[in-house]
Amino acid sequence: MKYSYITPKKKSVFTQEFQLLLSFFTITILMLLLTYSFLLYKNYTFIQDKQALSLEKTQLQESLLVMEKDIAYIEKQKMLSETIYTKNIVLKDSIANLFDLVPLRITLSEAQLLKNGLILYGITPNKDVYNFMLQAPLRSIFHRTYSSFYPAKNGWYRFVSTNYIDEEEEEVEADE
Amino acid sequence: MLSNFLEALYHKVIVSIVIKHSSCDVYIELCSKTAVVDSELKTFETTFLDEEMLEFISSYTKESPYSYVSILDMSPDQGAIPTCTKNRLPFYQDLSSCEYKCFDENWTYFTSKSDLYEIEKVYKQIGVDFIFSPFTLLYNFFEDKVSSSLALYILVQDSYLSLSVFANSKLMFAEHLDMETSADDELLSQVMDNDDIDLSETNSIDLDEVDVIDDMEDLDDFGDIEDLDSLEEIDEFSESQDIEEEFLEANESIIESDADSFNEDYQRFSLIQTSLGHFYNDKRYEGEFVENVYIADGVGVSSDLKRYLEEEMFLNVYIRHLDIPIEVCSLAKEELGL
Repeated sequence: MKYSYITPKKKSVFTQEFQLLLSFFTITILMLLLTYSFLLYKNYTFIQDKQALSLEKTQLQESLLVMEKDIAYIEKQKMLSETIYTKNIVLKDSIANLFDLVPLRITLSEAQLLKNGLILYGITPNKDVYNFMLQAPLRSIFHRTYSSFYPAKNGWYRFVSTNYIDEEEEEVEADE
Repeated sequence: MLSNFLEALYHKVIVSIVIKHSSCDVYIELCSKTAVVDSELKTFETTFLDEEMLEFISSYTKESPYSYVSILDMSPDQGAIPTCTKNRLPFYQDLSSCEYKCFDENWTYFTSKSDLYEIEKVYKQIGVDFIFSPFTLLYNFFEDKVSSSLALYILVQDSYLSLSVFANSKLMFAEHLDMETSADDELLSQVMDNDDIDLSETNSIDLDEVDVIDDMEDLDDFGDIEDLDSLEEIDEFSESQDIEEEFLEANESIIESDADSFNEDYQRFSLIQTSLGHFYNDKRYEGEFVENVYIADGVGVSSDLKRYLEEEMFLNVYIRHLDIPIEVCSLAKEELGL
């Protein structure tokens, strides 16, 4: 039965204060959830990055090992090349010295460079030219010098000069 | 569904405000679905919503979102009309500036729209949910009686009288009287008359004019016995209670009666007399003879009023005490379906 002149206002549990409170809580929870999901995402990407980095690290370590091997090999090559270069220089010098030793009047036809010796083949106008102009310097360099002559058709002499350096003496010299 | 569930979690707070002459009664009831959990009645020495009253009401209303504020309409421009037919309403009252509601498709109660707005404006801070007419309160309070034969029902408030005549639950006549304005009118008329006639004499003159005694003798001569029988049958169980109420009230009131209450009661008596005169004389109403008067006493009337009515108007007077704020609260509860 309706008695009142006016109808009562609609009552609700959701008063303005309650709505305000609810909205604040909702916003807070939403923010927390957002932060949480952001952190989850960040965490996931960090793990991904970490895995990628560790993979890269192992790859780098592997390549480092390969590189170290390469370096060792290259260093060896370098040492070898240096040795060869030094040897070549020594050879070049000794050849240059050799050709400096040979006077103009003597013609060499063959030269054999040995480890501890030198064999020269050539033609000389006479024995004296050879003895004075070639054998003398050779004697000063080498410890033992042997020479043998063969007369050529034109009156000149073919010669074979065998020269040796005694290693023992070299070592003694070196020790001194 | 959800709202019903939430509603069940909270108590309902029903605040009823009754404005009196110079004070204001506030009755607050906390109800669960089945029972009254708590109640408090407090009187404030103000007729407006002041800080103290607001604080008192807020202390209860803030406990539950389901709080309802009900007010008893105090508008001087209110009343009731014994019809619900729209084209018959202007015959009794111009309702163009009034808010009106039909009761039980039987009778209409109305009040001034501006006064309703005024109430809603004054109590804006707490929000008014129900505004009740004193006539519905009176009907509800005497629900066990109004269905019986014709009788006059009066709601006595601090400075208002709400009179209505009901016969078989049908309204015959109603009038809402403001004691202050009516008192002024009375004084004026007395000055106009300019003579020193004893008050009791004027009353007897009125009664003679109405010819109540003659009418009663003429009309009820043959049907008297039948009426009495039917009355007895209807009121069999409640009559003894009525008499008890009547005596109790009389005893209490005799002790309390003083010069002020005598004046007020005399004023009430004369207003009732004038009003009944309207009922009998106005051709718009079916002016049947009133034999019984049921008074809903909200202020504690003295035995003088009863004596006046009995001696001067030959009426059977039954007084039943009521706490108006509690009745307003029960109306609100009924409307809420509690």
